[in-house]
Amino acid sequence: MKNFEYVSAPNLASAITQLQGSNSKALAGGTDLLTEMKERIKTPDRLVNLKSIHEMQGVRDDKDKLWIGALTTLSEIESHRFIAERYPILAQAAYLTASHQLRNAGTLGGNLCQSVRCWYYRHPDLTCWLKGGETCYAQEGINRHHAILGNAPCIAVQPSDLAPALIALDAVVRLKGDEVDGDLSLDEFFVLPDEGLRQRTVLGKSDLVVGVSIPKPAASSRGIYLKSMEREDWSFALVSVAVQLNFAGSKVGTARIVLGGVAGKPWRAKSAEAVIQGKVLNDSLAEEAGAAAVAGASPFEHNGYKVVLAKNLVKRALLELNK
Amino acid sequence: MPKVVTQQVEFEGHFFEQTVVIEGDDITPWGPEKEFSVVGQPHTRIDGSERVTGGAKFTHDIHLPGMLYGKFLRSPHPHAQIKKISTSRAEKLPGVRAIFTYENSPEIPWRMGLTKLFDKRIRYAGEEVACVIADDESICLDALDLIEVEYEKLPSVVDAELALENNAPKLHEAGNLVTGKPETYARGDVEKGFKEADVVVEGTFRTQVALHNCMETHGSAAVWEGDNLKIWDSTQHIFGVRDMVATALGLPKHKVRVIKQYMGGGFGSKNGAGKYTILAALAAKKTGRPVKILLDRREENLLAGNRPSTLQIVKIGATRDGKLTAIYHKCIANEGAYAAWVAGSTGPSTRMYACPNVKAENFGVFTNLGPVAAFRAPGYVEGTFALEAMMDEVAAKLGIDPLELRLRNYAEVDPTSGKSFTTKGLRKAYEIGSEMIGWERRSQIKKQNSTATKKIGFGMGSQIWGGSGGPPAYSVVKINNDGTAVVLTGTQEIGTGAKTAMAQIAAEVLAFPIESISVELGDTQIGLYSPLSAGSMTLASVGPAVRGAAEDAKKQLLDVGSQVLNIPIEDLVIENGDFLNKKSGERTPVKKIYEKLQNYMIVGRGARGPNPADKVVNTFGAQFAQVEVDIETGKVTLQKIVAVHESGRVINPLATRSQLEGGIIQGLGFALCEQRFVDPHLGLVLNASLETYKIPTMMDIPAIEAEMVNMPDPDVNNLGVKGIGEPPIIPTPAAIANAVADALGKRIYELPLSADRVLNTLYPSSQNERSS
Repeated sequence: MKNFEYVSAPNLASAITQLQGSNSKALAGGTDLLTEMKERIKTPDRLVNLKSIHEMQGVRDDKDKLWIGALTTLSEIESHRFIAERYPILAQAAYLTASHQLRNAGTLGGNLCQSVRCWYYRHPDLTCWLKGGETCYAQEGINRHHAILGNAPCIAVQPSDLAPALIALDAVVRLKGDEVDGDLSLDEFFVLPDEGLRQRTVLGKSDLVVGVSIPKPAASSRGIYLKSMEREDWSFALVSVAVQLNFAGSKVGTARIVLGGVAGKPWRAKSAEAVIQGKVLNDSLAEEAGAAAVAGASPFEHNGYKVVLAKNLVKRALLELNK
Repeated sequence: MPKVVTQQVEFEGHFFEQTVVIEGDDITPWGPEKEFSVVGQPHTRIDGSERVTGGAKFTHDIHLPGMLYGKFLRSPHPHAQIKKISTSRAEKLPGVRAIFTYENSPEIPWRMGLTKLFDKRIRYAGEEVACVIADDESICLDALDLIEVEYEKLPSVVDAELALENNAPKLHEAGNLVTGKPETYARGDVEKGFKEADVVVEGTFRTQVALHNCMETHGSAAVWEGDNLKIWDSTQHIFGVRDMVATALGLPKHKVRVIKQYMGGGFGSKNGAGKYTILAALAAKKTGRPVKILLDRREENLLAGNRPSTLQIVKIGATRDGKLTAIYHKCIANEGAYAAWVAGSTGPSTRMYACPNVKAENFGVFTNLGPVAAFRAPGYVEGTFALEAMMDEVAAKLGIDPLELRLRNYAEVDPTSGKSFTTKGLRKAYEIGSEMIGWERRSQIKKQNSTATKKIGFGMGSQIWGGSGGPPAYSVVKINNDGTAVVLTGTQEIGTGAKTAMAQIAAEVLAFPIESISVELGDTQIGLYSPLSAGSMTLASVGPAVRGAAEDAKKQLLDVGSQVLNIPIEDLVIENGDFLNKKSGERTPVKKIYEKLQNYMIVGRGARGPNPADKVVNTFGAQFAQVEVDIETGKVTLQKIVAVHESGRVINPLATRSQLEGGIIQGLGFALCEQRFVDPHLGLVLNASLETYKIPTMMDIPAIEAEMVNMPDPDVNNLGVKGIGEPPIIPTPAAIANAVADALGKRIYELPLSADRVLNTLYPSSQNERSS
């Protein structure tokens, strides 16, 4: 790891000022940033510790919504009583993230802002497009973990488990900084990278996620998070799906279907949502929704399986919620 | 008296003639009827408390005053020629003490002369280019960034089949075929055998590269005391490291001392010295300070060895009544940049079944990747997967139960030599294992537990392997004047529990409580030669020498005791650390006799006797797996695995069970999730980390039901023991793969059985590529 300066920010305003310095990075749990620094993918001159910032801490039950501070650890989300009771989909997503040790250190904010896991991006001897180079090596390479949806010059997938679950819950993210400030739907927080912006969120260099708020679900609302992994623990999703449904009697009222592991950002499958809206769920409708979720998918040499997997997971999630 | 004889020796599935000095063959083997008080009892590790309290010092724990650290600069290119190297900027970095490159280092031949300590020709990404020695590792890494290297990139090849093509880039002057020719085996006439067959099946199999991923990475620490070199090395072969270092540096062997008390795994990848060992020694000499060089996880996974990937073709012919008429097995193994032996996988096909006509061909191929190393039963894991899959296909074609087919072709004698086996408990293993898994009821269990989306399947695999151990191996047992004893050997404890087993053997022979025995090993200077701890040979080699030494010591002790106590020797026995007068029942603690003898010391000496000349020694086993395959997600879950193995007498059932569990877990990783990925265009390894290279976690491990057929082998050695380190990994992938084929009604011919592979098999149309 290269030498760096370490400063602790007493409050948000100070952190934002500190981050304006050249080559500064925000540090919370450090489970992603420190590994990138050890591997010399990132070599910041200064780390700004956020853990001392009060405004970013805590889980609060407001009347019509739940507030989760960006510094809340994944373990806290996994085991928090309110979350388990009202937003089981979020608790499930947290539980299925990484390993116990990583969940004890990793935070909500860090989980949303983490770098991609693409093994070309992470390779110390390669400067891929996302790292400022010219080539996305994954497109012609071993792309079994890569995107099947969304056209982007970089085909790495957004790796968060929490993000699809939070988007399915209509979460709103609170941002603070120079370039962005205020509340934004979490769905809009994530962007596909392009030539102008080789990154995955709307955050500028001195912008921070302060926390997210989740509206209180309707009494008839039910959700599920399913994740396909290469082993039972400590694995990013091959494909994951977050589904949150409001039922109107036996029919589906509003629906949210969000896929993880299939695109450069959490992928909201609106056409799949449309398939089931106002209908009574059954096997064939679930199948149809699954197919709609991956309509237009264009896999690469090694990730065609994800099309089937995503389709089947959507179907399974819907049928589970209909039980 | 020592005798010089030539005998057949087996190592890691390879057989060769060797001249050996035989002694220690005068001890009557412990027969099957022998009763024990310590041997055969479960015993926790005698060094367990050191291990769990942090007292155990591993190579990584060696910290000496003034110690320096080293790190290698490694090539980012898979194939290149170094044109120029400049270290001047790096040398100026504060804290840098020395930098070694081809310009200032001795030209030490490496990998059987295929390369050098620092070679200007680079043959894989990750190969050593330079080594920086500095005050700490962080300074080393900063210095590596400052070394300027000009490479001339050369065309590279990472695929074994492509490397065999005429126009492929050549890694070595002699070409890309390891040893220049295939390794072949034949008996009978396979063409005739296939003509006689009523059914013939053929399959093409592919297995992946697996990485050892020892918890403790490879590394060495070195210090010079005058002209004596002392090395701590995380190794499976202290004497091998000593000999390699002595040869490389031109030192007499008595000036090189190699120590290894504890290690975090080897699995075949730590059978000799590394470049890190030589550089630590060179740097310690140059700087006059102790130097430690450890690989990090990434380095470990790039160059510390691997199980080579294979392409295998297996063809089997059988008659209508299930008698095998012919087996043909071809293997092409990707051995990376350097190899001295052909890493074939056809061993099981030549030795497992009574088939008169067998032909096997093994091609080892050089490619621009990190070199192969032995990995727990090299070749046999991969070969058994392919062979046992084809056996199931023969069974299916003939409508014979897979287990029944194996019994109909049971080899009563070794099919390669016609000699009988010393012991063969495979029939018993089949019997017990099939009962434990519910083999007869499996159709019913499948029907009851399968759903529309989750399919249950059952499969089995058989195991054959060596594990005889053999000479030379020596031991000394010293009896102290307080009635305690020290067992001295020159072997090494690689984590299997060999130390505890040797204490049990000594305690049994001496009739001392095990608490009064200590076992010393892992030091070439004070230890007595022992072979490398590989090939499942440690206990079967060193254990008999320990017994010999203990018997010798006991004989002397009784002799001395009889004289001191004035009791006829025939009336005297030792029991629980006391002399017991059988006639009078009078007990005298052993230490009591020393009151008259002061510091008299009894020293017993033992050596490993020869292996039987007229019989063949093998270990056997069978495993049975029950899996669930989710046909919507492609996920394979191993629900239950039953393992029953025969490796002669069991000395410590607890440690043996650990070996079975460890082998099965490593086998399930190979079957389901472990796989090294290499970019075919760039020639770079993509998943050299523990996050991306998927080793099973505790959450992936099912109920393991493991048992031994305790069958003391009267011919193999004076203990009746054979090795158990490697056998349990051998049939696991075969059993799992056969169970998955049973669940799906469709076979997957490649490992691992990952979700993508299962889904691509079930939904072949999903493999369409993005149209560009």
